[in-house]
Amino acid sequence: MNYEISLMTTMAISVLFALSLNLITGFCGQISLGHAAFLGVGAYLAAMLAKAGVPFLATLPLAMLLAGAVGTVVGLTSLRVRADFLAITTMGVGFLFVGIVRQREWLGGELGIAGITGSNMSKLGFMLFTVLCAILVMALCVYLRRSWMGRVFNGIAEDEDTMRVLGINVPRYKLAAFAIGTALAGLTGALYAYHFQYIGPDSFGFVESITVLSMVVVGGIGSVVGVTVAAALLSALPAWFQFIGDYKLLVYGSLLFLMIRFVPDGMAGLVRRHLFKRRAEGGSK
Amino acid sequence: MKTAVLRPLVCSAAIFALAATPALAEIKIGLNVPITGFAAADGKSALEGAKLAVAKANEAGGINGEKLELVVYDDQASPKEAVPVATKLIEKDKVVGAVSGSYSGSTRAAAGIFQQAGVPYVVSYAIHPDITLAGDYMFRVSAMGEVQGRGGAKLVSNLGKKRVVLLTMKNDFGQALAAGFKEAAPKFALDIVAEYEYALQDRQFGPLVAKVKADNPEVIYASGYYFTAGPLVSQLRAAGITAPVIGQEGYDSDKFMEIAGDAAEGTLLTTSLDRDSESPVTQAFIADFKKATGIGTDMVAASTYTAAYVLIDGLKKTGGKGGAALRDAIAGGSYETPIGKLSFNDLHEVSKDIQVQVVKDKAFRRHSVIHDPVLLAPPSKSGK
Amino acid sequence: MLLVELFTQGLVQGSIYALIALGLTLVYGLLRILHVAHAAFFTLGAYVGILVCNASGSLILGFAAAMAIAGCAGVITYRLAYQPLLDKPPFVALIASIGLYIASEEAFRVFFGAQGISFVDPPLQQQLLLFGTIRLKMAELLVMIGSLAIIFVLSRLQNGTRLGLACQATVSDPQMAESFGISLRLVRDLNFFVGSALAAFAGVWVALLNNLVEPTMGSVPSYKALAIIVLGGLGSVRGTLAAALVLGVVEAYGTIYLGKLLDRNAIAFAFLILVLMVRPQGLFSRR
Repeated sequence: MNYEISLMTTMAISVLFALSLNLITGFCGQISLGHAAFLGVGAYLAAMLAKAGVPFLATLPLAMLLAGAVGTVVGLTSLRVRADFLAITTMGVGFLFVGIVRQREWLGGELGIAGITGSNMSKLGFMLFTVLCAILVMALCVYLRRSWMGRVFNGIAEDEDTMRVLGINVPRYKLAAFAIGTALAGLTGALYAYHFQYIGPDSFGFVESITVLSMVVVGGIGSVVGVTVAAALLSALPAWFQFIGDYKLLVYGSLLFLMIRFVPDGMAGLVRRHLFKRRAEGGSK
Repeated sequence: MKTAVLRPLVCSAAIFALAATPALAEIKIGLNVPITGFAAADGKSALEGAKLAVAKANEAGGINGEKLELVVYDDQASPKEAVPVATKLIEKDKVVGAVSGSYSGSTRAAAGIFQQAGVPYVVSYAIHPDITLAGDYMFRVSAMGEVQGRGGAKLVSNLGKKRVVLLTMKNDFGQALAAGFKEAAPKFALDIVAEYEYALQDRQFGPLVAKVKADNPEVIYASGYYFTAGPLVSQLRAAGITAPVIGQEGYDSDKFMEIAGDAAEGTLLTTSLDRDSESPVTQAFIADFKKATGIGTDMVAASTYTAAYVLIDGLKKTGGKGGAALRDAIAGGSYETPIGKLSFNDLHEVSKDIQVQVVKDKAFRRHSVIHDPVLLAPPSKSGK
Repeated sequence: MLLVELFTQGLVQGSIYALIALGLTLVYGLLRILHVAHAAFFTLGAYVGILVCNASGSLILGFAAAMAIAGCAGVITYRLAYQPLLDKPPFVALIASIGLYIASEEAFRVFFGAQGISFVDPPLQQQLLLFGTIRLKMAELLVMIGSLAIIFVLSRLQNGTRLGLACQATVSDPQMAESFGISLRLVRDLNFFVGSALAAFAGVWVALLNNLVEPTMGSVPSYKALAIIVLGGLGSVRGTLAAALVLGVVEAYGTIYLGKLLDRNAIAFAFLILVLMVRPQGLFSRR
């Protein structure tokens, strides 16, 4: 059972992480190629606090707070650069984070931080807790999208200039999206640290950032359910692909490419089209 | 029946099929190794080393007539992938023991899981100090980075040199080596002129080389793997720097000489495999590896072979039983291996001499042996 | 003296960056695609270059084969992968590109082995002494000259020929350009061919400098080239060249004097972020 529990926890963590990016990229249309940095901020803070004996439940909000604060600062830069450049700027933030952590002895440097314990939960309990967090965040996302704020996010994603003309304070909403999204990434990072019990600078690099972006896009950018399903599937894929050994990443990369090439609007788009088709067929009868 | 020398694809596919049908008369041991991704080159060597150890054991009749089976999973050298891999080996495949043929991050993440499940885990070349601290089911057959770094300092002193420049690779291996070197440097009154760092992906060292040339050291202590060290050494020589370069076991691959060409001549390395060893075990391993794979051996292959060999030797003593019995059998043994005579201390680290090899006529040859049990003492429980 | 040598080494590195980033600039300027898989053509070129050179003994043939094959592969990639996605949001092509890059890196490993390949007898390794003090490998000198020459020719072509002007026209207004009888298809194919061939050209040089070609050799250029085209102000050939050289020099000094603080990648991106904060339109953009 432990294998399934461990896999399930990993999946739930990926879902949380992907949803947090979906808030920024999917809802508000701001592409980030450095989202793993915020996962890292949360993970490192939680790891340091756990080592210092701070109780598990107290580390989570602190991780959210710090990641959200850093995210807001990065969000401020996003206001300065054009949309084209934002992807590259956030990518730079990701490399900066890894570069800084690497050289800091007190953050474990290259060796990272090992032996992170202290959640005081059984594996099953921890899994249930992570899944619960994922469900809560899903609910939050669905709620947000229906709220006034969500509609403004959507407006910014579709046509920023029109929103400006409508008198909406676009920068403030962009910042809000960054703050919420990165805070959730911080929460995910804390759970990540407790689950894997080892973190190092390489865990939060460019590869992790593009992996999570792939999850969002494959799921269908902006779709809560689509992103959830895609994150759960893609995170478990390497474990399921063990039997093809040598060709694992080759298949992963090709699948990612083929999926997006033939279904550019992601799984959500695929499902939606099928539903509409059926409805349309039903209507014509 | 399958043998462990089958291609990885077939091997893992067969294992996958077998996992569904219970009741096997085989003893399974696990191996986590980076088959895909950035560390795949080392993973390949590690895999071949482990497969050779299992094949040899099976040729010799296995364990009480039962064949050994090596269950191989790819961990991409990533902690995130290593956790499910370790859990799967323990739960789905019910391995009696496992070998790490992977890097520090993934090995460290897997260590906690093997420890918790009470499955002995023999680590080959991952040098993270916390790995053996994870608990008493952990074993490590290679010398830790710090220890090798201290040996490097002694080698500099043995060469009669004082002024050193450190070129440190920015990963756990490089950092640990540099830490050990700097710790021991005062004992030999070495003058560390400067230390520069480079990233694992770097192959172009122009600026570093220019600075080293300006520093004009008597000797260069450069950590790295053959794929960074090959270009590095060749660029140092191209810039007209003639100071000897001291590398470590990461250089220890024929590929190093292929990349650096003539520039490799004279490079010294502190490693665990002595190509000119009189030990029949070492010579047999070098020959067997060449026969099995068609390529020359390297440190990673030798270490992983040794780790698997140690685990199998323990299994022979317990008659195939795992758990605490296997742990105690491994801890109590002493082993004649390709990388020397090994026995574990109370923290399950090994103490051994450092083999200094030198590149001569495009081959690794014995230069000297550093024997200094005090300086080269691995960390121990009592020492902590 | 050291400062001059560091500067020279920065220029060598910068020239390689420039060759890789140039192809990316052409693609980005034309189609607004963040073409991460561009680095795969760099790797492909390096492999073809070494294999052909080892088999035939001619480096020239190696260069020609690498550029021709990578160029064609670039066009095929454009037709099969990007063309159908042009009307989709930019991140769709980006993810497709990332998938392609992961798959190609692994394909190189499966076909050519994880340990990489080297020249049997690496050419252009003679050492030169410039101005009495600066030591350079022949290959290092040639890569600088080569990349400058190519970029000079390219920017001449861009501004001085019908085809070059046509390319520029398709960037600023594709519909208008088409109505003037410019074949969009031809221009885009040409851009991918030239861009990928340049990446392959850079790949063979890097193979010569390091005498090592590995499946993962494209991973750093895959993202660093993106940073360079942003610094260069997107789509401008001269801006890209300048940005690449500046970044090469900044990295050269940075790794020596800031190495304890930040690693090479972080130095490059810290510089990028700083520049973007001061000049959000990039270092050399006129707008």
